[in-house]
Amino acid sequence: MTGALVDDLVASLARRKASAQVMPAAEAARAAARAMADAGVARAVLADDPLMGDLGLPDALRREGIEALLWPTPLNRREMLGLEGPEDSCGVTVPRMAVAERGTVVLEASPGHGRGIDVTNRHHVALLPAGRIVATLAEALARTFADGHPVPSAVSLVSGPSRSSDIEKISTLGAHGALSEHVVIIT
Amino acid sequence: MSTRRRKASGGVAYPDARGTLRERTVQALADGTLRGNLETAAASWGESRDAMRRDHGLDAMRDRARDIRRRNIRELPALLSEMQAKVREAGGTVVRAQDGAEAARYVTGLARARGVTVVAKSKSMATEEIKLNESLTDAGIEVVETDLGEWILQLAGERPSHIIAPAVHLNRGQVATLFREEAGTDDVPDDREGLVAHARVRLREKFAQAGMGVSGVNLGVASTGTVCIVENEGNARLVTSQPRIHVAVMGMERVVADWDEAAHILQVLPMAAIGQDAANYVNLITGPRREGEADGPEEFHLVIVDGGRGALRGTEFEEALSCIRCGACLYSCPMWKSVGGQAYGSPYSGPIGAVITPLLEGPASPTSRDLPFMSSLCGACGEACPVGIPLQDLLVRARARASSPATRRSAIVFRAWSRLWRRPTTYRAWMAGWRLMLRARGKGGWVTRLPGPGAGWTQVRDMPSRWPPRP
Amino acid sequence: MRTCLSDAVAPSVWKASRRVLERCGVQVRVPRSQTCCSQPAWTAGQPDQARAVARHTIEVFAGPEEVVVPSGSCAGMVVHAYPEMFQGHPEEEAALDLARRTIELTQFLQKHDLDPGPSRAGAVTMHDSCHMLRVMHESASPRAALDRAGCEVREMPGTDRCCGFGGVFSITFPELSARLGEEKARAAMESGAPEVVSCDLGCLMHVAGVAHRRGIPLRARHIAEVLDG
Repeated sequence: MTGALVDDLVASLARRKASAQVMPAAEAARAAARAMADAGVARAVLADDPLMGDLGLPDALRREGIEALLWPTPLNRREMLGLEGPEDSCGVTVPRMAVAERGTVVLEASPGHGRGIDVTNRHHVALLPAGRIVATLAEALARTFADGHPVPSAVSLVSGPSRSSDIEKISTLGAHGALSEHVVIIT
Repeated sequence: MSTRRRKASGGVAYPDARGTLRERTVQALADGTLRGNLETAAASWGESRDAMRRDHGLDAMRDRARDIRRRNIRELPALLSEMQAKVREAGGTVVRAQDGAEAARYVTGLARARGVTVVAKSKSMATEEIKLNESLTDAGIEVVETDLGEWILQLAGERPSHIIAPAVHLNRGQVATLFREEAGTDDVPDDREGLVAHARVRLREKFAQAGMGVSGVNLGVASTGTVCIVENEGNARLVTSQPRIHVAVMGMERVVADWDEAAHILQVLPMAAIGQDAANYVNLITGPRREGEADGPEEFHLVIVDGGRGALRGTEFEEALSCIRCGACLYSCPMWKSVGGQAYGSPYSGPIGAVITPLLEGPASPTSRDLPFMSSLCGACGEACPVGIPLQDLLVRARARASSPATRRSAIVFRAWSRLWRRPTTYRAWMAGWRLMLRARGKGGWVTRLPGPGAGWTQVRDMPSRWPPRP
Repeated sequence: MRTCLSDAVAPSVWKASRRVLERCGVQVRVPRSQTCCSQPAWTAGQPDQARAVARHTIEVFAGPEEVVVPSGSCAGMVVHAYPEMFQGHPEEEAALDLARRTIELTQFLQKHDLDPGPSRAGAVTMHDSCHMLRVMHESASPRAALDRAGCEVREMPGTDRCCGFGGVFSITFPELSARLGEEKARAAMESGAPEVVSCDLGCLMHVAGVAHRRGIPLRARHIAEVLDG
């Protein structure tokens, strides 16, 4: 079951011009750090999620020479927006869920997970435990807003890197949000 | 930065649109570049949308989408009360505005009270409708449109051409020129990637300064008090996460009951609007930031605008309230494809604009009463509508409701017509006279000048006096 | 039903329709007292005036027979608009009854599997009128009839695109109307077929009229005339 959902998600992410890797937990951090280094990332802004430490991502980043900042960061607004400091930054998120049929990751705002992490930085890497993949959008929304759970202040359904078709109707990546999106699916 | 300065007024349409509607169509038809840009845009939308019909069964989703929206409109007062209560529960402020002026006054007053000097906006037809930019600008507040297409228009001092793709009538060269003027330098690249990257940096400067973010609302979900903002660029997320205050402006009809309904509409919307099965970003926002959260606005205000909508419930125009503003009827409309949105002289153009603008403004409004007549009633709009609004029927009903010198003339003509054509003897006499006239005026099988209302025919085309016509 | 446009400009169209039907063995009655379906007033936003004329049409076509119309637009008017026009009026039942019995010419041929025999037309291109296509939801029956008559249909680009006629629209927005008409005429020429046919005379009058004014050598005939031999 999970296997089919993983395959579907990988395929639909490709359709959304996002890249994906399927990795066992032991190798996920190294793979993510490697992908960031390849993209020239100098600074990573990490959601404060237990998964980061469990996977050992901060250490893996340090080994690649990438500065790792945990949310909330000490950066001011201009630095957050990349107007000052390194331009090639990467937001690292831990989605609550992902939707296989349409290549969507579901980000929930919380004290450890800023709502702008994925869009303020130039790149976006999502670390997604494979068990969190659901088939349809309806399922994801039903779970996110189920009775009894507190409603998050902000939920973002992110389906691929930022893009605009406002010039000549041709899709161009990296409009306001991330120029690239990479999803590491952890099995 | 140049900012459009227009005087706010009570209506929805732009009061300073020049000339009559017909004159504006003639002007637009003469613009070959515009025509080419519109054709390209509509064709690329058509291809993507056809792929959605083929691969994702978009047509089959229509019935449920229609049922959901019809029910929402029937239950609107209850849904709005629930929405309002839930937003307040989440720590947000809700304001119900009777008309656009009231809504604009509230937002401008709030900006002033909080000492805001720069407002960052994401794309919103509702704020265009309430003429918010004019109101803020008049108060000395800088307004920056951050959607790329809207920003381009702001630089050009123009109005949106399309609900979803506002700058769809401009090409790359025209955009590069505008960016050079804005930046005050020739150092702006010519290619699309370069233009987009340039805009990204210029607009981030504005995000860094903005004290208030203003967005529209694609959908309100009553059961949790959540507003859904659908976008591709990421600017709406910046608008709703960076400034200290977020104001969301929502037309009162944009509410669904729960997440089951929302899921369906949120799937249909991008398919119909851009021919994609998902938009890049869907932002689901419930109140301001919570305790302990480090980003997101400290204040959240939801402004719900009636603006003439409430009065449409229970009328023969109620179905127009089902609209989810996807823009599919524009792209499918041969008139819109020929002249673009600006010729309509109102924020809402195309078939849905031709129906709702005069409904919101009143049947005698000189800025919009002619709009329902600018259609051949070809029905392509109704066919394209993902929520099954019978737009061609609504256009006919809107014509019956319009009041202008032209409709009064038409009433006189058709009263006479009806008296002659409801009786066989007078009908046959009329026809005999008409055919005599054709024969008398015909030369080589064609009449090149007709009298009376027929002059409109022969102004641009000939009338065959023999059939089949000779080439 | 003859249609007012046929009465006004092309009586040959309703006469051809009658011959086509009779050749198929259909017993045809053409009520002399008929006038118009009332569409001009209805779409001009004058429903009361339209109703007065439509009432007459309902009376004239009372009875058990099927009502065959050589126009997708007039047929669509009766089928689609009459129910709304007479909602809550004394004639509502009669209007619904007429709407149920009304059918466009080629739809009628297809429904009853009728064959009027071969046509000499050869190759034609087909313009789908908007009301035939999107009110009557029909694009197959005219092609089936042409095919059966031995005509080759060479499709033009955008055959489902509006020609810009639109009834009163053609004289209230003449420039816009003519632009679309010119595009349609050029598309028809592009098909390579020597003539354009359609189920609607209004479209043809308009497109041919624009073509003549612009010097485009377009030939146009109603489908009934083509099927007539």
